[in-house]
Amino acid sequence: MTAPALRMQGVGKSFGAHRVLDGITLDARQGEVTCLIGPSGSGKSTLLRCMAFLEQHDTGWIEVLGQPLGFAPGPSGQRLRLPTAEVARVRRGIGMVFQQFNLWPHMTALGNVMEALRLVLRLPRAEAEARARANLARVDLANRAGHYPAQLSGGQQQRVAIARALALAPKIMLFDEPTSSLDPELTGEVLRVMRRLAEDGMTMVVVTHEIGFAAQVAQHLVFLEEGRIALDGTPAEVFRRPWPPRLAGFLEGYLDRGAALLAD
Amino acid sequence: MNSALLLDSLPAVAAGFGVTMLMWLPGLSLAALLGLTLALGRQYGGRAMDAVLALLLGAVRGTPFLVQLFLLYYGGPFIGLTLDPAEAGLLGLAIYGGAYFAEIMRGGFLAVPRGHVEAAVMAGLSPAQTLRRILLPEMALLILPAGVNMAVVLMKETAVLSIITVPELTMVITGIGSSTFAFTEAAFLLAVTYWVLTEATGAAGRAMERRIATVRLA
Amino acid sequence: MARLGACLLPHPGPLPEEEGAAAHFRVLSATPLNATSFALLLDGALITAALSTVSVLLGFAIGALVCTAQLSRIRAVRAAGAVYVSFFRGVPLLVQLLLIYNLLPGIGVNVPGTVAALVGLTLCTAAYQAEILRGGFLAVPPGLVEAGQMVGLSPALILLRIRVPLALRLTLPSVVNEAVLILKASSLVSVVGIADLTRTAQNIASSTYRPIEAFAAAGALYLVLNAVLIGGGGLLGRRMRGAE
Repeated sequence: MTAPALRMQGVGKSFGAHRVLDGITLDARQGEVTCLIGPSGSGKSTLLRCMAFLEQHDTGWIEVLGQPLGFAPGPSGQRLRLPTAEVARVRRGIGMVFQQFNLWPHMTALGNVMEALRLVLRLPRAEAEARARANLARVDLANRAGHYPAQLSGGQQQRVAIARALALAPKIMLFDEPTSSLDPELTGEVLRVMRRLAEDGMTMVVVTHEIGFAAQVAQHLVFLEEGRIALDGTPAEVFRRPWPPRLAGFLEGYLDRGAALLAD
Repeated sequence: MNSALLLDSLPAVAAGFGVTMLMWLPGLSLAALLGLTLALGRQYGGRAMDAVLALLLGAVRGTPFLVQLFLLYYGGPFIGLTLDPAEAGLLGLAIYGGAYFAEIMRGGFLAVPRGHVEAAVMAGLSPAQTLRRILLPEMALLILPAGVNMAVVLMKETAVLSIITVPELTMVITGIGSSTFAFTEAAFLLAVTYWVLTEATGAAGRAMERRIATVRLA
Repeated sequence: MARLGACLLPHPGPLPEEEGAAAHFRVLSATPLNATSFALLLDGALITAALSTVSVLLGFAIGALVCTAQLSRIRAVRAAGAVYVSFFRGVPLLVQLLLIYNLLPGIGVNVPGTVAALVGLTLCTAAYQAEILRGGFLAVPPGLVEAGQMVGLSPALILLRIRVPLALRLTLPSVVNEAVLILKASSLVSVVGIADLTRTAQNIASSTYRPIEAFAAAGALYLVLNAVLIGGGGLLGRRMRGAE
């Protein structure tokens, strides 16, 4: 069994007096899709952002591809903050897709995808452009390379964002509610791309409200509640009836939206 | 109005207009540059620097331009800074405009969506690269209307430079008006000239805004 | 016309050549302005405050009229309003002041300089306030007006009870901002000989050969006046919100 792509042990996070995450211990295995689901305010987005070190975890340890992220135990067991350069190095293996897409508005789709290839990987222009176009093709947007984000639909913008992250050849892709900002008819195109990525073997951690997607595509499902892991297992295990009352309460909101595909 | 008089004064008026332009455009550029430096200083210079600058810039924005000009022109020699009227005028415009641009640009930086910066962080861009490639361009696009407005404000303030004897348009035309006793006509001509300049600058600004509309909406 | 020459050409403060070389080597004295000078400055500040307050209030009234014109159904009236706003925002205040100061006697209206300055300031701020008010009216959510229509309020009542109060609430910060701008702009009346704060500072600077202290003190007083204005604006805003 290979080492987990991402490992969290006893991770906690507070915002002021509010404890948003508490005692989070989970593994995301390589080649698997891990979905984080749960009610609003359960801390799923914060948890994902901790995986990217966009939020700093107060307690516990995070390891990405075997490397400590952000903090490491010191020689006498104390909690050492790792230097920014070290964090940036570990981040290179991670790609992130945001709920708000966060495409840079003053660059075309191609420009967005090429930017890090040129500035970070320092690829020559021709190679960067070729690689960018290839990744845009991967998300079915080869013919929109010259468009600005303002000229693209939400679904197209999110797919460009996925291409932008993919172009850097990450080992893990993090998705923070990738379809929550989209009109319902546009979520399908994004979920299709994500499904293809999963089938190609990408390690993915996805925070989502799309329970159907989670049930069908994920190999690992984590149900979060009030900052703690309430359920952790395969979709079959998590969704086995009878449902715990809290899970039932949460799922009730989704049942009449076509999530009756859940395994029994 | 006497047409011969009009023709005779044309060279002088043109010279005055030239001086106005020589005060306005370089003054505007210096103000924008100074404003950017100050905005960056407030953003990245630490809390103490931010607080000190906030106070100083608030003082510059809260006092009349004329008083600042007098301070520079008449007070300057007392601290070893002897400026001729044009130098004082240019410096005055740069400082006054710079204080306003600093505020405008600071607001612009704060208005860049945080997610765009996080996306840059996650894509591996260094802080310097993020500033150069993401923050600065987006800030510039966001502040375009305010920047154009500031350009018009500074252009109108060049008239005040006449009070410290900079030979710009207002000084020239009022001089002609008083020496020919046709002051009202002169004042109207002066007003109309500025009016046209303002409208032209405004139209140019709106044209620029239309051009970047495709880029700004996302 | 000699008056014009006196108006435009400044004679405050010493020219370095007049003082001789000694001026360049004078160490900046640490002693502050004496009490008499400061009292004079306070007088000047009062004039500035009075002039600004009156012109802002009158300007609000005229601005409201111009704004009404801009929202009129009659094209000519709308155009007149637009031209007014465009002119008084597009021409430097100094030029406007010079124009009015010299125009009024020309058409036979002989008023003291102070009144001419007041007229100039008022007409200028009216244009800016008209724009502010117009923006405020446009910003009133149409849904609120429609709700009034659906419960049967007449157009006049809707204007009075919904649109005006909401527009005022929305524009208060901008009007306070404009008041601060007028306070600063009023410094220009010094060129038409009015003994406002700036002119007083000029006189003190030239008689005491201490321009830095004089103008710095004047600047500080302007900042104090601004603080009073902004504080007053904040109070007014809280009262308006409290009345809901």
